[in-house]
Order: sequence, then structure tokens, then C-alpha cells
Amino acid sequence: MEISKEIYRVLADIVGDGYISDDPVVCEGYRSGPGGYESGLGYERVMTKVPGCVIMPKYTEEVQKIVKVCYRHEIPYVPYSTGFYGPRSHPHVKGALLIDLKRMNDFVLDEKHFYVEVGPGMVYSPIQEECMKHGAYVVIGGGGAQASAIANLIGDGWSPLSHRIGLPHRRILGTEVVMPDGEILRLGSLAQGGDDPFWGESPGPDLRGLLRGYTGLRGCLGIVTRMAIKTLPFQPERLVPTGISPNTALALPEKRIKWINFVVPSKDAQVKAMKEIGHAEIAGAVTKVPLFWRAIAKAECKEEFWDLWGKENEQTVANFHIVRVLLIGYTSEEQMEYDERVLMDIMTEVGGVARRTKPSDESWIKNADSAGMWLMCGGYVSVDYVIETMTQAPEHGPAYAELKKKYTPPLMPDYGDPGWFQSFEMGHQGYSEFLVYWDQDDDTNPVDQFYVDTSKMNIKNRFYTSLLGPHQPLYLTGPKYGPNYHEFLLKVKNEFDPKWMSHPPVPLAHDVFVERAPWMHNMKDWESPKDLDKIKD
Amino acid sequence: MANESDVRYYKPRTEFALDIKDIQNFVYDMSRCIKCKGCNWVDHTYMPGAKFMTRCPSAEKYQFDAYGAYGKMRIGHAFAEGRLEWNEKALEIIYACTLCGACDVGCKRNLDLEIELSLESLRVKAVKDGVGPMPAHKKIAENIAKTHNMYAAPHDKRKDWLPAGITPARKADVLYFVGCAASYTNKEIAQSVAKILKAAKVDFMLMPDEQCCGNTLFSVGMLDEAKALAQRNIDEVRKSGAKTLLTACAEGYRMWKVDYPKLLNISTADLGFKVVHLVEYVDELMKDGALKMSKAFATRMAYQDACSMSRLSDPWTPYQGKRGWMGCVEPRLKRRRGTSGLYAQPRDILKAIPGVNLLEMPRTRENAFCCGAGRGTKEAFPDLAKFSAAHRLEEIKDSGAETLVTACPHCKNNFAQAIKAGNEHVQVMDIAEVICASIES
Repeated sequence: MEISKEIYRVLADIVGDGYISDDPVVCEGYRSGPGGYESGLGYERVMTKVPGCVIMPKYTEEVQKIVKVCYRHEIPYVPYSTGFYGPRSHPHVKGALLIDLKRMNDFVLDEKHFYVEVGPGMVYSPIQEECMKHGAYVVIGGGGAQASAIANLIGDGWSPLSHRIGLPHRRILGTEVVMPDGEILRLGSLAQGGDDPFWGESPGPDLRGLLRGYTGLRGCLGIVTRMAIKTLPFQPERLVPTGISPNTALALPEKRIKWINFVVPSKDAQVKAMKEIGHAEIAGAVTKVPLFWRAIAKAECKEEFWDLWGKENEQTVANFHIVRVLLIGYTSEEQMEYDERVLMDIMTEVGGVARRTKPSDESWIKNADSAGMWLMCGGYVSVDYVIETMTQAPEHGPAYAELKKKYTPPLMPDYGDPGWFQSFEMGHQGYSEFLVYWDQDDDTNPVDQFYVDTSKMNIKNRFYTSLLGPHQPLYLTGPKYGPNYHEFLLKVKNEFDPKWMSHPPVPLAHDVFVERAPWMHNMKDWESPKDLDKIKD
Repeated sequence: MANESDVRYYKPRTEFALDIKDIQNFVYDMSRCIKCKGCNWVDHTYMPGAKFMTRCPSAEKYQFDAYGAYGKMRIGHAFAEGRLEWNEKALEIIYACTLCGACDVGCKRNLDLEIELSLESLRVKAVKDGVGPMPAHKKIAENIAKTHNMYAAPHDKRKDWLPAGITPARKADVLYFVGCAASYTNKEIAQSVAKILKAAKVDFMLMPDEQCCGNTLFSVGMLDEAKALAQRNIDEVRKSGAKTLLTACAEGYRMWKVDYPKLLNISTADLGFKVVHLVEYVDELMKDGALKMSKAFATRMAYQDACSMSRLSDPWTPYQGKRGWMGCVEPRLKRRRGTSGLYAQPRDILKAIPGVNLLEMPRTRENAFCCGAGRGTKEAFPDLAKFSAAHRLEEIKDSGAETLVTACPHCKNNFAQAIKAGNEHVQVMDIAEVICASIES
């Protein structure tokens, strides 16, 4: 339904005239465009629409009122924190109300109880800075230092720092959600009716799983307006920012914190080193460094990146085995010295050799620099994240690399690069992620096809993929996981949002995309209801 | 270089130039913004915490994405492709912006897109399409046409700032370009500059008939008028035989060093003379021993990095080339990322003054928050200028500074008004005044 003048007036009365606009120029500023992942792909072209109106609430009560107006008048709406996640965080239907949450950027740090409390407009780097000032830290997710912490935590929320800190759902504490019909839901200790968000688990079933499951539902089950996030103790010395942009870094106090890169002889040695480091319960981060990353780090511009990458080949990629380890003296210099000795013992055992490593941090501690990953190509997507055992995770990348050959070009030549993997939760888990790059001016239809083909590969190889739900056709993945995971999810959706007003047609957006994009039809070898595409556009 | 055919797919190469006259030159840049909002956030490495997180005055005030570079790139792209109609809101979005370059250096940390040039080109398009600039800008253009200065002050009073006892040379290596502000509204700056040069025993000359630098004309997209002034002023300096063009105005510095060459399609190096800001010149004099900061100034001081002499001041080199696969360009382009800004010199000068306790604000150097006055903003959008200065004042107070030092008369005036309006206990001084006070016996 269009937003009539009367409804507009009602919405304006909720937030004030300065925080709502249906001007076409203002709305054009919210176009998805290539935003974030999936630049220039069919999903963006086919599925995203410019919003019909934009509103910027400041308080939870305002969000509730807005959503209730939308529900009463059947106006589809989309919650939007920073817009970085790409087409999937933008309206998919005409005339939608985009609820821009950037004004909800409250921040409270509870030093004594080691948590922070934030609104959806608060991004990661200021949180990390405030935490570090008070001897604590959080994981800045791979989504980047510029990502909304809440959006990231109900979506992905991990990085190499997850080696010690662990997965995001373990860090979500008391949380407040505005449900699709405007009712409020409080999770964790907030559900007791007080204002103490310290505890994450709810009195009844833990509903945090409905917020994120593995990687979240892009706001189709409600809007998180407040969240307490667990922090962990960090070392006390200041990490000093140095340099002039674009060459900025944190200078590390080397007796308390340092990165060390090790060259190891093989992939098996990489995996063994990661496992042993986890078992020894040392280090703050342990990750493989793909050759690709090194070229990015060295290049001053995209042209230089291609010069450097052009010198590589299948052998150099296959023979490049680096393990990058972050040591942190959490409690003392002596603890770090001990950790370093243990690390060196492990590396001696696996045949690793320490390389000279810069005493600085460019990425991960405060500046997870995912935005810079667009530099070389202008378009990329992480086609999958897999969290498996340390043994299984490294097998995931090569399977992708093999599938990728079929779609190269338009995917960039990567000489069989099998992505990267790292340790999570002290080696309890192995994490594998696979990135693909393309030029968005090329024929990108095969990239759309590759994306869906990855789901089929995961199903076939029984990888436990994260990209289910809103990221892939639900009727493709659902029957293969659960079983009937899709039926469960759709029942939840129908119960929470019977009118499908909250970010429609998520979680069926990718199903609808496959129906609407002619180049996707030959990919479809699964069953789905015939009326999928009747969801209004 | 590797064999290109091994790693790069064939792709027709499209020609483009870094020429703001044609917005089509920047469609690539406008269409590649991924909303990382690096243009808005302080460089994350320098992120100071939950206060003072952003560096775009326009986005900070108006909040809607449309006012940040991420929104303006989408809007500009739509205009370039004819998908959007001009309206009042569009003009507000495009002109309620200080063109301070924070977005440009932010983007060039991640994506290397030409944000500043895209924004300038969008204004040129607005003028070409007959909808820009704003009425207040047209009034300034009229003033310049009639009186050769932006204030409509009498042209024959332009040299009235000259202090007693100082007579410029008829011929000298250094030509001091005073600018409209220091000639009429901020004579104290020009007088301080003259006294500094005298103290250092440096002869300087003035233009026989100095006129406006054209900063506002250029900044609002009136390229024809700006180009005429650029050519005229450059010719005057060349005729004078000066080797160094000295200015104490940040906006004037950027015009001479960057935008005149841009307008005339030449390199900064081809001007035929060197363009220097007072802080560069004094820094050298100081380090050569020709100037000594001897008089104490006991104060807690903060320095405002003027945008035009920091992130916007990399020298200009014309560029024309082809863009191919993955957006790679040939010939190789040295991107202007703001790295040669004048960051160290003013700080070295201020630290050399006995008694000065120089404090850094949370947002500093390339991350500095613009005062809000420049490039036609204060004239057309005084509320934005006021907001921006008041916002920055909070940070100045937060740093504990009692004296704010600027290096641009537009910054000084805007801050002075905000201080007065807020009844704040902060004094604002131009760096020329501070230097002058320290060397005067």
C-alpha cells in the first residue's frame, strides 16, 4: 500500500518532521546500488527497490509506534542500520518504508560487569575503543568496523579474534526486540521486567536463536532496538594510532601484544599448528593468510594489485602456507612470554618458521577492514561461511575452488585459491570462508548461478553451511536441512508476522529471485509453491 | 609487469578524464559506492570512542543518507543517467555540503573512488542545467563581478589593511596574495603576515591589482567565471616574476595550488611559481633560524586543520586515460589521497612557542571535522555552518583547550561567531596572529 498523506502525517507526528521524508531525491539516496556484497549482481537489479519513504526513529517506543502504523495500514517496512550488507538490507517491494535506525546509537559501558549496551545505530570501532579504554575488548566482526554491532551480531559476528572470544551468540546478552506487529519482546534477564541486561538466557526457551540462528534473518522477524554485548578482559596498554590515511595502523606494545607470521611447510602443518595452539589455550587469533590477502596488503592501488597477483600461479598459491598468530599478554608480560615460548615449541614441531612481522595492527583488533576488500574489483561476495571441525573446515575451500572453475570467468582468476580457514573457540571449531570477485560491468549472471550452485555443493558434500534462510532459496536448502527447516522457519514467520510486512519477501527473497530472473530458471531443480511470485512487488 | 593476457580478461576500455566539466567522467565512481560509509566515520584506527565518531558535517546535521557521500553518489548517478528530476531538495542536498574532502580521503582508504571530484562535477551540472547555484552564491558572483571581492566592498580599499611602517616591495621573489577576507574582514591576519615577513627580513610584493581568488565561484560550479579569474590571476603572478605565491588563507591556498591548475588543465608544477601557505613558509624560516618564537604564550591550545590546506591540498595533475577490466586505469594514476596535507608544519610552529601546551582534538589531521564555513556553505546554509562550528566547539572544549588556532579566516570567523553565540570561554586566533605575537618583542 502507498503511504498516503494522512499516514505520512501520523508517522511524522511520531518522530518529528525533520526525521521523515518521502522526497524522491532523499529516497534515491537509499537506493541499494552496489552496496556491500553482490555488487551489480542480478539479485540487486531484480530484487531491490528505492524506498517510498524514510523515517528515522530515536527511541524504541517510536519504533513500536511506526511498526504498528505500518501493520494497521499494511505498509511493508525494512529495518536499516547502516545499509552496508548490500541489496539484502534494502527494500524488496515498491513503496516500502525504510526505518533508518542510525539515530538509535546509545552506548553504555558497564565496566564492572564486562558488558556494553548499544542501540542498532552504534558501529563497532567506537565500541572497541571504549572497551579498550577500560581494559576490555570485543570481536569486530568480519563485516567490518563500520558495521552496526547489533546487525552484525544477529547476522554473522566473527573474525580471527573468535579464536579466543568465540561465536557471537555466546556474547548476546539482554536484548530488546520490536516484533513485526509492534509488540515488544525482551530476551535474557530483561524479560524479568527490570532493566538489567546482564544475563543472556531467557527464563523460557532461548529466543536468541530466532534472531540469528546461524546467520540471521535480515530483520524479517522483528527489529532489535537494544542489546547488551558481553566483553572480555584485554591487556591494559594503549594501542596508539599511527600514520596518515590510507596508511594507518595501531602501534602495538610488543611486550603485551604482537602478531607473528609463520611460514609452515604444508596445509596439514597449518591445521596441526592451529589445533595445537588451541589445545594449549594460547593466542588471541590464529588464521591462515591467503596469498591473495598479502597482495592486497602490499598494493598501493588496484592496478598494482593486479600486477602483483599476475605474477602468481597455481604453484605459488598451492605452496603458500602462512599461519598468522596474535599473542596477547592478557594478564602480564610474563604470561605473554610463556605463550610465545609455547607457540615457538608448537611451530618447531610443525616445521614453522617465524617471519619478521610488523609491530602494528592494520586489521582485526579495531579496524576489521572488509571494505578495503572491494578495492581490487569493485564487487565481491563471500559465498559461504562454514563452521566445522578443524579437520573438516579446511576441506571446504578446495571443494569450492573446484566448483569455481566452472564460473571463471566472469569470476576473477585465482589460481585455485581455496579461500581461508582459521581456528574458533580454541580450536574447537574450524572456520572456512570463500570469497569470489568479479567485475560488475561483465555479464554477471553466472555469478548469480554460482551462488546457488554453492548451496547444491554444500548439500552434496554435507558441509554445514551458514548461508541458509534468507541467503539462498529456502525451498532448495530447507528440505535438506532439519529436515524441513523451511517449514519450521515459515511457521515462525507466519506466527510473528502474519501479514508479511517486515522486510517482505524475506525469508523467501532468493526463491522469488530465482523465479523472476530468467537466467536462474535452468538452475532450478527443486520444488517450490507455484504462487511464490505473487508476493507483491 | 606480468603478461596481461594471462590474468586479465579482454574488455573494451572506456575513455575518461578527471575533468569535472562532464559528470559522465565520474559515473564509474558514483556507481561503485558500497555504503561502507568510510566517508562518514573517522578512520576506524583513529576512532576516538562513542563521542565524535563522524567527520561529515552535512551527514551529521541532516542525518538522512542522502546527505552523506554514500547518498550523494547514488543521487549523482541518477542525475547523470537522467533518472531523477531536479527539485529544491536536490539542490539543498548538493549545496548543503562543505566540500571539505573528509569523504574523499575516507573513501580512498578503502575504494579509491573520486568522491570530491564527483561532488564538484555534480555542482557544475546543476549550474549547466540552469538550477544552480543557490541564490546566495549568485549574489557573491555579482559582487565579484562588480567589485572584485565577495563582500561588495569598495575595490579601492583593498590595500587598506597595510600597517604603518610596512611597505611592500615593487619587485620581490615572494608575492603575498592577501585574499578577500584578509583584505576586508580580517585585516589582522594580513597585518600579522606582513609583520612576520618583515621580522624575517623577507621582501614581499603584492599584486598591483589584486582580485578575488574565485573560491566560491569554483566551489559552487560556476566554472566559466572561476576559470577567467584563475587565468587572470596566474597571468598577473607570472608577469610579476615572483617565484613564490604566499597566502595565509586555506581556501586561497587550495585554489592556487589545486583548483587553478584543475580549471586550466595544467599541473601544479606547471604554474611557473611555487604556492605556499604561511605555515610552510614560517616553518622553513624557523628551521633555518630566520625566525625565532621567543615570546611566551601560556595557554592550552588546539589547532583546527583547515580542510583546504590538509586533505584537499595534494597537488593537481591532469589525467586522461582508459578504464578497463576491474576498473583498472591506464596510464597509471597517482590518486590524490590527501597525504601531502600541511599537518606537521603548523604543529611544529605552535610547539616551538614557549608556554604553549598543544593538545590534539579527538578528530585531527585528515579526520578533522570541518568548521562548516567554506566553499559557499556559510553564505547559502548559515544553519549548517553554525551547527558545524558548534559541534566542533564541543570537541575543542572536550580536549581542554582554551585557545583555538586556525589557519584560515573563514574558519576563524565562523568559530568566533559560534563562540559568541554559545558564550563559550574559548578564544580563537589565526596562526598568523599567534606567530606574530610570539616574535614581537
